[in-house]
Amino acid sequence: MLNNFIVALVERILNTALKLDPTLSDRLAPIAQQRLLIDIRDWQQQFLVVFTGQQLHLYNTTEQQFDCMISADIQTLMALKNPAMLTQLIRQDKLDLQGDLHIAQGFSNAFAALDIDWPEHLSTYLGDAPAQQLWQLLKQAKQQGKKTNKQLATTLTTLCQDELKVTIHPLELEQFKQHTRQLKSHTAQLELRINQLLQAK
Amino acid sequence: MNENPEKTTHFGYKTVAETEKASMVADVFHSVATKYDVMNDLMSFGIHRLWKRQTIASSGVRKGHHVLDLAGGTGDLTAKFSQLVGDTGQVVLGDINSSMLKVGREKLHNLGLVGNIDYVQMNAEALPFPDNSFDLITIAFGLRNVTDQNKALRSMYRILKPGGRLLVLEFSKPEHEVLSKAYDFYSFNLLPKMGELVANDGESYKYLAESIRMHPDQETLKAMMNDAGFEQTTYQNLTGGIVALHRGFKY
Repeated sequence: MLNNFIVALVERILNTALKLDPTLSDRLAPIAQQRLLIDIRDWQQQFLVVFTGQQLHLYNTTEQQFDCMISADIQTLMALKNPAMLTQLIRQDKLDLQGDLHIAQGFSNAFAALDIDWPEHLSTYLGDAPAQQLWQLLKQAKQQGKKTNKQLATTLTTLCQDELKVTIHPLELEQFKQHTRQLKSHTAQLELRINQLLQAK
Repeated sequence: MNENPEKTTHFGYKTVAETEKASMVADVFHSVATKYDVMNDLMSFGIHRLWKRQTIASSGVRKGHHVLDLAGGTGDLTAKFSQLVGDTGQVVLGDINSSMLKVGREKLHNLGLVGNIDYVQMNAEALPFPDNSFDLITIAFGLRNVTDQNKALRSMYRILKPGGRLLVLEFSKPEHEVLSKAYDFYSFNLLPKMGELVANDGESYKYLAESIRMHPDQETLKAMMNDAGFEQTTYQNLTGGIVALHRGFKY
């Protein structure tokens, strides 16, 4: 039931996106009523997505009736944002695709081009100027947040590597790996030699 | 001595003549029709929506299908099916109760769902359709109100197309003793009071609680579906067995 609840929430979010970006319906129109089954291997869950012309329907299902089915683990599905990866992933057996490929591409392209005019929607509640100002402010805050995150990460790395000495530099790690590989190779050689000596006796 | 004694059935915990049950059930639903959706949300804490979602997810319904939403009441399932079957499909919202149909029709019209929905007042025991007419039949929280459930199941089997499926969503028997006790306390003590307060009709909600206890449990209903001719009959317990979704196919 928890699954069902989460899926219902995601469906609601998708339908809100549908309302907020009126062009999304037009982009989904060519694949209306087509059933896309997404099988997420590592979650062992299947999800059915259908656009009916008015709404997006998303169900957690065990049904095997579909027009197109994608089976992959969650990380591979995330990589599908770049359509150029598709063939490569199929060749690597990371992705299984059955049915009409255009349906999967249709959904992927429609959501990739999602463009919600937030200031326009906010202006209904706040008025044009405050909505625009708020939007600018949020954009700046987002950029500032990214910058701060990056700075924090750098500071934390420096602190751990140089000041507290609780972790090592990536170059040191690489050097350690090389040494380990050499040691492994020497040990193997030694083992071979001992075996040869034992056999010679 | 009466040589032809009147057959009886149950109406909640009461024993009534078979001929009387339909009208008594009708009275209950005439009484609650307008508050039906509000009460469903209130009584189930909104979980009935998730049970219905599971029904749709298990339906295999697609474009062009013909669907019968039996005892469809205020049309929650019909609203979804109508979109999923598209212009080339058809959904029949069937209910024995005219008040419920009226509320359902108004609600679906207000949602802009017109064109592929028919509204038919019908008795589940004698469905007014030719053999092999539907790809899918659903009956959600309706079967326990039917007087002769075996006859209704046979009637549903008759009008299903080969390859079609029946989904029965109905209250059932909780799997665990603790849940069962809590559920009993809730449905016999709180439910009628909520009915009294919101719908001004405690008696109807007392009938609801009693009729749930008189309804066949999971295995019994499965056997009844098999007896009616359904194959590959399975059920899925929802919310610890408070509700069960039975699924059977006609081949």
